[in-house]
Amino acid sequence: MLSTTISVLIDATLLTFTLALASLGLAIIFGLIGVINMGHGAMLTLGAYFTWWTMEAGFPFAAAAIIAATCVAIIGLALEHFIIRHFYDKPFETLLITWGFFLVTTEVIKIAFGTDIHNIPNPLPGSFDLGVQQVPAYRMLLAIITLGLFLAIGFVFYRTTIGIKVRALTQNREMASLLGLDIGRTYKLVFVTGSFLAGLAGALICPMLSIDPYIGMVFLVRAFFVVIVGGIGQILGGTLIGSFLIGGSETLFALFSTQTFAQTVVFALAIIVLRFRPLGVLTSATRT
Amino acid sequence: MSALQSTTALQTARRLGVSESGLAIVALVGFALLPIFVSGYTIYILPQYMLYGVMAMSLALLWGYSGILSIGQAGFFAIGGYIIGLSFKWIDFGNPAYIAFVVAPCVGAALAGVLGYFLFRAGVRAAYFVLVTLAVSIIVEQVAVSQSQWTGGWNGMYVPRMSLTLGTGTEISLFDDGPIYYFVLVVVVAIYILLRWLVTSKFGKVLLGIRENEDRVISLGFDASLYKTAAFMMSGALATLAGALYGTHAGFVSPSLGGVLFSTEVVVWVAIGGRNSFLGALLATIVVASLSNYLSAIAPKYWQLVIGVVFIVVIIHFRGGIAGALGRSGAFGKHKRGQDG
Repeated sequence: MLSTTISVLIDATLLTFTLALASLGLAIIFGLIGVINMGHGAMLTLGAYFTWWTMEAGFPFAAAAIIAATCVAIIGLALEHFIIRHFYDKPFETLLITWGFFLVTTEVIKIAFGTDIHNIPNPLPGSFDLGVQQVPAYRMLLAIITLGLFLAIGFVFYRTTIGIKVRALTQNREMASLLGLDIGRTYKLVFVTGSFLAGLAGALICPMLSIDPYIGMVFLVRAFFVVIVGGIGQILGGTLIGSFLIGGSETLFALFSTQTFAQTVVFALAIIVLRFRPLGVLTSATRT
Repeated sequence: MSALQSTTALQTARRLGVSESGLAIVALVGFALLPIFVSGYTIYILPQYMLYGVMAMSLALLWGYSGILSIGQAGFFAIGGYIIGLSFKWIDFGNPAYIAFVVAPCVGAALAGVLGYFLFRAGVRAAYFVLVTLAVSIIVEQVAVSQSQWTGGWNGMYVPRMSLTLGTGTEISLFDDGPIYYFVLVVVVAIYILLRWLVTSKFGKVLLGIRENEDRVISLGFDASLYKTAAFMMSGALATLAGALYGTHAGFVSPSLGGVLFSTEVVVWVAIGGRNSFLGALLATIVVASLSNYLSAIAPKYWQLVIGVVFIVVIIHFRGGIAGALGRSGAFGKHKRGQDG
């Protein structure tokens, strides 16, 4: 019984970090500049495909992941520069446009890479023995990388000039702009960072799954629930707590039933949470 | 200023409405006479596109008239399809199709009611609602795949063609494509008229008011969340009903009918046709679905891409879709940009 509890706990923790990684880019773009990036799933998918493609060309996994994330960041930059930046004051239009981006990107992926399923070899085979359970080494590494990314973002956010600028922007946009902050450039920086993280997440997650053109879709919805349940703007703590609630309960329910059923129950729970904490579990409801 | 704007919006709608009725009658006559001139595959496939059109109109009610976007309409549509399939399987008295036509809208309305209660009561942002409806679509597809003992899983489910039974024991078979074409046409026209009546009723005016300025409607004493929930229930019920009729017409339902891709396609149809016009949504659906069918045979790879690009262009440049562009061109009076949010 005890060992079951521990292994569930380990599973839940690993899934929490995977979800947190997949949600980070979304949380940043959504939380800081208010763009509901429905293209997030497509960015994950692009990250996965670019990784596969670069590895086919002979690069090692680590290099491939960085190259893939950079390519996605460049695509994000183009999207922001040519379209999104004209619609920052219309959140609903950006939602639709990024959804269109998802449609177009998915089709382009299908045309460029085909609809066949691709697999890339596990970059870190083997497993750790944690006493009660064997934990795949790569999933362990993924959790550590995710933790590192969160710490790095926390550092940039709270300990650097860029962080101060971004926080000033989210707290009071007009005042920040009056004080000489270049709003347009800061928005661009946030969007590109979010795109980079989405691409990186796709690259890092894809060795655990098979790559198909819709790989990002399920992550899109789960990531949104993570962000909403965690609370918008609560980029670090909120995303981790949201991931834990979504991922943890999914692991728990999957014990008693099928994966599909678990996911359905978790989505339903997330909707119920929204009913009572519309601004997320970390933010107390102050909305009138 | 805002009150003035919404009056002009209403007037425009009314002026558009007059000419829209004329167009609707022309379209109806055209569809009614069509089986005289063509037959075969066209007559078989058109009713399915018309039912897609009903789903599009149910979305237009939400998106165009209430300012709420759902990308889960296909989820409701698929639920309807499965309900009629199960109804034929399980019910051996009366007319299973009739029972499905009662049960399906009730299930759709109940599901929409529960979601609407949870979301609109909490006053969540419009964007959250979009995401939850997206989740509905994903869940319906996943449940349809996993509960294969009922739904047949990936293999889908076969549904017999219905027949019309009258109280006196006479039975009219709709097995042939001709009779069911007219049956579907009558249902679609009835739903169209119902929707047109609905948006000119007090209920519809409150919905328009919510779209234009929700806070003002609330301060006028209306329970906006109740109206939005009711609109979503209406929309869910119609999409589910259309799905049930589709199931028996197509004879087959599969999980992808409820999937995200199909849900998205509905949004694209409505965006192209014009979210503020039921006729625009209906006709755009029929035209785009026909074109899809035709062009996906010629250029299967690129057609979806074209749809995606058209979608982005419509969102950026033609917020009112084709019907809105026609309205703006002067014939139907001035149509200000930015009113239809």
